[in-house]
Amino acid sequence: MTIQRSLARWVSFTLLCVLFTQNAFSQTKTITGKVSDDKGTPVAGISVTVKGSKTGASTSADGTFSLNVPSTATTLVFSGVGYTSQDVTIGDQTSLSVTLATTTSNLNEVVVVGYGTARKKDVTGSLVSVQSKDFNQGVVTSPDQLLTGKVSGMEITTNSGQPGAATTIKIRGNNSIRVNNNPLYVIDGVPLDGRTARPSLNLGQNGLDFGPTPETNPLLYINPNDIQQIDILKDASSAAIYGSRGANGVIVITTKKSSSSGTKLEMNTSWGVNIGYMKKYPVMDASEFRANLAKNNLKNDSGASVDPLKEISQHKLSQNYSLALSGGNDNGKFRVSFLGSSNQGLIKKTALDKYLGNFAGTYKFLDKRITIDFNLIAGHTTENIQLLSNTAGAGGNLMSYALNWNPTKALRTGKGYSLAANSFSATNPLAVLDGFSDVADVNVFLGNISATVNIIKGLDYKFLFAINHGSGSRNTNAEGWIDNLKGVSGQGFAAINTTILTSQTFTHTLNYRTNFTDDLKFEAVAGYEYWKTDFDNNTIAATGFNTNLDYATRTNVQYTDFMQNAKTLFPMSTIRDPRTEIQSYFGRVNFNLLDKYYLTATMRADGSNKFGANNKYGYFPSVGAKWNISNEDFMKNSNLFSNLGLRASWGITGNQEFPAGASLEQFSSTAFNSIGQTNVANPDLKWEKTTSINFGLDYGLLRGRFYGSLDYYRKNTTDLLFQSTAIQPAPASIYFINLPAHLINYGIEFSVGAAIVQQNDFSWDFGFNIAYNHNKLTKFNQAPIPTAQVSGQGVSGALAQIITNNQPVNEFYLKKFGGYDQNGNQIIADTPSFCGDPNPHVLMGLSTTLRYKKLSLVINANSATGYLIYNNTHNTITNIGQFAKGLNSDANDFKTKESTGDGVAASSRYLENGNFVKLRNATLTYMIGDVAGGKVKNLSVFVSGTNLFVITKFTGFDPEVNVDKNNNNYPSRNMEYIPYPTPRAISFGLNLGL
Amino acid sequence: MNKYIKMAAGVVTLAIVASCTKLDQNLNSTLTSQQTANALGAAFVLQNAYNDVGNPYSDPGNVFALEEVTADECLIPTRAGDWDDNGKWRALHQHNWSVDGVDIFLNMFNALNKITFDATNVLTPDFKATKEQIAEARFIRAIALYQIFDLWGQFPFRPPADNLLNAPKVYRGDSAVQFIISELNAVIPDLSAGNTISQANVDAANFLLMRLYLNHGAFVNRQSPTFSDADMQKVITLGNAIINSGKYGYSSNFFDNFNPSNSTSKEIIFASPNTAGVVTNNTGIHNMWWSTSHYNQYFSHYGSQGGWNGFSTVADFYNSFGVTVPMTRTPNDTLIDPRIGGRYYKGATDQSGIRPGILIGQQYDEKGNKLTDRKNNLLIFDPNIAPDLKENGANLELTGYRIAKYVPDFSNNGKNYNGTAGNWCVLFRYPDVVLMVAEAMMRQAAPNNAGALALVNSLRAARGTTAMTSMILNDATNVYAPNTLLAERGREMYWESVRRTDLIRFGMFLKPWAYKSASGDVKNLLYPIPTASLAANPNLKQNDGY
Repeated sequence: MTIQRSLARWVSFTLLCVLFTQNAFSQTKTITGKVSDDKGTPVAGISVTVKGSKTGASTSADGTFSLNVPSTATTLVFSGVGYTSQDVTIGDQTSLSVTLATTTSNLNEVVVVGYGTARKKDVTGSLVSVQSKDFNQGVVTSPDQLLTGKVSGMEITTNSGQPGAATTIKIRGNNSIRVNNNPLYVIDGVPLDGRTARPSLNLGQNGLDFGPTPETNPLLYINPNDIQQIDILKDASSAAIYGSRGANGVIVITTKKSSSSGTKLEMNTSWGVNIGYMKKYPVMDASEFRANLAKNNLKNDSGASVDPLKEISQHKLSQNYSLALSGGNDNGKFRVSFLGSSNQGLIKKTALDKYLGNFAGTYKFLDKRITIDFNLIAGHTTENIQLLSNTAGAGGNLMSYALNWNPTKALRTGKGYSLAANSFSATNPLAVLDGFSDVADVNVFLGNISATVNIIKGLDYKFLFAINHGSGSRNTNAEGWIDNLKGVSGQGFAAINTTILTSQTFTHTLNYRTNFTDDLKFEAVAGYEYWKTDFDNNTIAATGFNTNLDYATRTNVQYTDFMQNAKTLFPMSTIRDPRTEIQSYFGRVNFNLLDKYYLTATMRADGSNKFGANNKYGYFPSVGAKWNISNEDFMKNSNLFSNLGLRASWGITGNQEFPAGASLEQFSSTAFNSIGQTNVANPDLKWEKTTSINFGLDYGLLRGRFYGSLDYYRKNTTDLLFQSTAIQPAPASIYFINLPAHLINYGIEFSVGAAIVQQNDFSWDFGFNIAYNHNKLTKFNQAPIPTAQVSGQGVSGALAQIITNNQPVNEFYLKKFGGYDQNGNQIIADTPSFCGDPNPHVLMGLSTTLRYKKLSLVINANSATGYLIYNNTHNTITNIGQFAKGLNSDANDFKTKESTGDGVAASSRYLENGNFVKLRNATLTYMIGDVAGGKVKNLSVFVSGTNLFVITKFTGFDPEVNVDKNNNNYPSRNMEYIPYPTPRAISFGLNLGL
Repeated sequence: MNKYIKMAAGVVTLAIVASCTKLDQNLNSTLTSQQTANALGAAFVLQNAYNDVGNPYSDPGNVFALEEVTADECLIPTRAGDWDDNGKWRALHQHNWSVDGVDIFLNMFNALNKITFDATNVLTPDFKATKEQIAEARFIRAIALYQIFDLWGQFPFRPPADNLLNAPKVYRGDSAVQFIISELNAVIPDLSAGNTISQANVDAANFLLMRLYLNHGAFVNRQSPTFSDADMQKVITLGNAIINSGKYGYSSNFFDNFNPSNSTSKEIIFASPNTAGVVTNNTGIHNMWWSTSHYNQYFSHYGSQGGWNGFSTVADFYNSFGVTVPMTRTPNDTLIDPRIGGRYYKGATDQSGIRPGILIGQQYDEKGNKLTDRKNNLLIFDPNIAPDLKENGANLELTGYRIAKYVPDFSNNGKNYNGTAGNWCVLFRYPDVVLMVAEAMMRQAAPNNAGALALVNSLRAARGTTAMTSMILNDATNVYAPNTLLAERGREMYWESVRRTDLIRFGMFLKPWAYKSASGDVKNLLYPIPTASLAANPNLKQNDGY
């Protein structure tokens, strides 16, 4: 206590002294007094200053103070952590008695639970609420980036550096052994599908030597400036109300509503540039390359000096304009917002342009008995994508061309681009940038409207209808003049890909709230929900074009505008997924006795047409209890605890993320005019079930100066949705079953927030969270499942990870590397063995805000430790063997005994420690305040840096990496393979209100 | 108040009832079996079974890898950064594979069983297949059952419309052989006489019967096969019927049987078709040349990037042709067995410089310019392969002779080279009938060695090579010994996915040969059942030693 107080004092005074010169006052008077809190208890450590000067003192243990003030002083400011600061007019008084109100802590914050809201302090489950003021700043293209490092136990990994790329989110560990397992997103009460209408593209089809390209983020259509708060439901007590979709946790996004006080306009603008790679990749520059050529008697020196990584990157200006208009009165409110933004990628010809409009409102009728809420979002995005696929083979992708390009060879010639010397030279990355284009346009409409009717006092009926419709088209062109690109050179390639995704939600809820007695409050929700979703995708692709086969005579007409010009049309692919329908009945009851004892019970019955005929309905119960100890009489006078609560919960949540139609027999059309069965029907197929318990402690110390929570959880996922080996003879090699194995995750989460200094001119807030997770698969009686494809030349069939009994999911399983023999060739074991865990064991997040007067600095950092990354890039793209072929390679290999003729093999050699600390964002804001006589309000300017630096031993581009290397849909984890690199960015912005 | 509650309850109930659903699922893009039966019928389902046969035999990474790479005529050295592929190619050739160390085991177990599944589906009563369609389906299934049994010594079998969640029963040993024989005998009467080489036909069914009878002794005892006279007489009778039918003969050029228009070859009894230029109607036959040619062969032609520089052969095999003088590039070189290749071939050599057959020595482009490797060494294929099959030296791209038995399809401006080739995948070929009859003659109770030699010499004469003066079945000490029937089978049938079966039947599979020491490990006579497949079906039994 004392330490904190003196630290606070020290910091505040030091800053004051350093920043301002001492003024002397000619005439002074002495003011004495006593400060107490609203219970009459004297308060120590309150800072007392003369308004507008640095003169100040601090209250002693009995709450008293004595201060010499200039006779001209009129007002004293009292401030301290945990209390609302207060201005007191001195007047003629020389002795003051001041009562300070305790700050309303975050305990009265309203959090959004499923199908309702609650006060944070009344919640029995484990739930983290992040308010808009606490969001990450800097370059943010999708809402999940607002949360990185903010929520204990939530790991957010961006899958690619491409603006708008999808993220992998794991709440409380790896919960499943299938791909596509993100949490459920719920926006203003409407559950999202999780997929997007951005067509995906697999360039590995149609004879091209590339694989699937990274997916895009399903939350792109939510304007980050429109978000009021995001609530993360982590345990069963909070998530079980979402039944068969709650097992991975639920992220509830609530958009901003208007206040009822007059018309307001907010404007947020920012401009930014990428200033380079966050972390350099250790390939050789021209001089190192030359030196090593000489050393190895190789003659691949072409005389020039180029930096291909630099050549493919850009520093174009990104722009962001957001405008929100709101207004209303007691009977009706509206908010309209617009966002126009253009985010330029680090790699040339990559960008994300977004145009979003949002119209939301609340109107009340019939003496406020009926409330109509609506929220309509219309959005359009355009993505410019480059050739950066996940599983590129020997043909590589743009990053591999740049990494491999001989740095002594000029990229350009007088007429165009220099050509590959032979079949193995790297393709010219600039030629690919120029001749390859891949543009995805997506239009999205998300609308919901609800009517709430107050039937009798305490009883409300609500009907909600929502529609989420997205349609996307993607045009991919690879011009035939690009040299040395298999399937493209000399013939050109084009694909048009369209996707439509439509989901609809109908929800009826009845909400009843009453006080049984003065001490016992009761609340209940009952509801019915119907949700359906449709997805279809059509692709046409063609090759053998007659134009743009020669750089000199290329035209500006894209192949995709010209498909009839192609000699060969690939077989058209049209896919319409079976419609998914979920029909649910759910309910929740809450009891609150004396604000001390809380009990919550929920139940949901989910019927899904994806489930097999024998299992149409799943049931998901939960109970949670809380004891709010700080409201007990014996704690009322505690000076230490301002809040203390114990929570416990148990419940079952489910997961039904498996393909629609998986339980049914299906016949598909195939080659040569034929049809064949393609699916093993499983009428018993059902949801995956996670039983979890959670014990939590919420605390607030020293009147809320420190606050946070500590949670222990244990989750056991059974009936694992699993693609089992089909029992041959069978129409397919795998089929979906519910595997009776146990996937265990347990861990501890701790968070602390601290208002270290809270004074008028200076404040220092600090937030830290840490989470430990342990993950293990047990009672897994299947054959081990190898997964995580290693890509590139010479490693086909190599898989880096394994899913097997008594190991963490995706444990690395590789042949052990044993150094080099006397010839400099690597020694590799004949058989693989367990090599370590790709799942981080400890996640940490840190944020701090320093404010001095109008200037504030916000810093956000995060860290993950205790995990390994497989560096597939080093393995097959930048290995030393490439150097012998005249390609650039990893400079570090030349410091080892390895010979340039050494082979390529997947082994434990490429496992690297992923531990990192990343300075995600630092923002310096100057709050100018109201200007132009108050006509312009809250004017502020800021400068912000994103991904400023990372401390790690990992040698690739970014230790936060998760390139999708699934094998037969068995997921992979933390594989790095020529990804879109993470940029370091700087931006400048201006916000104001009118 | 009460009125409000009733009203509300009414509205809510109505709303919920109105929106209730039965949760039935429409498949949209796929059909149910009933729809398939009504709308398309058995012909489409049968076609699917035919399609299944192509890829396992067209792509050398499939059945080929298990029949040829593990034998004496094919290996794939690891070339520094290329062809390590988790060590599987070395493991296959050196006979030190582990249960799940080679992904081909699982891939082929699934792919071959899928053939039996899709063929059996034709027999489902719903599809109302004709007798002829049922016979064709059972023939295709017999091919797959034969191959699964050959590789693993057992095969699972499901009746039509079986519940796929149940583990099917498994045939092994003599009952497996008898089952396949009975299947073939049952269907032969129902097969139309007019069926072409891409359809189940009587000769193809008899051909498969010959294989079963000839291998019967090895199938029931792979370690020390014995051959019953009854089986051998069956082989001779069935073979003579085919030979005397007059339907088949020899192509004037050996490589015409493997060129892009081989569908008209007189030697082919059964083949899996490919349609030139049509992506869907292609099973990957181009991999036969991609897998072996050097990166710089046929490079930069119409979007092509040469080959993968992998699959190779050894000098001992080359020498088993009785080569006494070095190969020349003279087109009319008649000194050597033409099946060794190396001669000008119109449509291939004028397009790419490739001379079909075994590629040795300096390689040229179509204009006669010497090709180089990626390090600018002259592209001279070098028979000296690193003993451990790991190439790290300056010549790592050059080691190993190559084989282009299938003549690359350069049509469509060279585009078909890349994946839409028109070469049909040859499955059963007439010369094999001749060789099987000859072998049965030598193995029958009263061996007819002279008759066998005459048959073999008739084949050699058709190939334009000299007659052998004497011939034994095999030389137990040297798998490559030229004057043996085993070597003749190698010279004729090389890289046609039968070599391992031959070597086992001749008792030679565990013997040493080039880049493989004698293993003596009898477990290698069968492949391991993949762990995942074994776990899925408890009726399967892991083969001894694994």
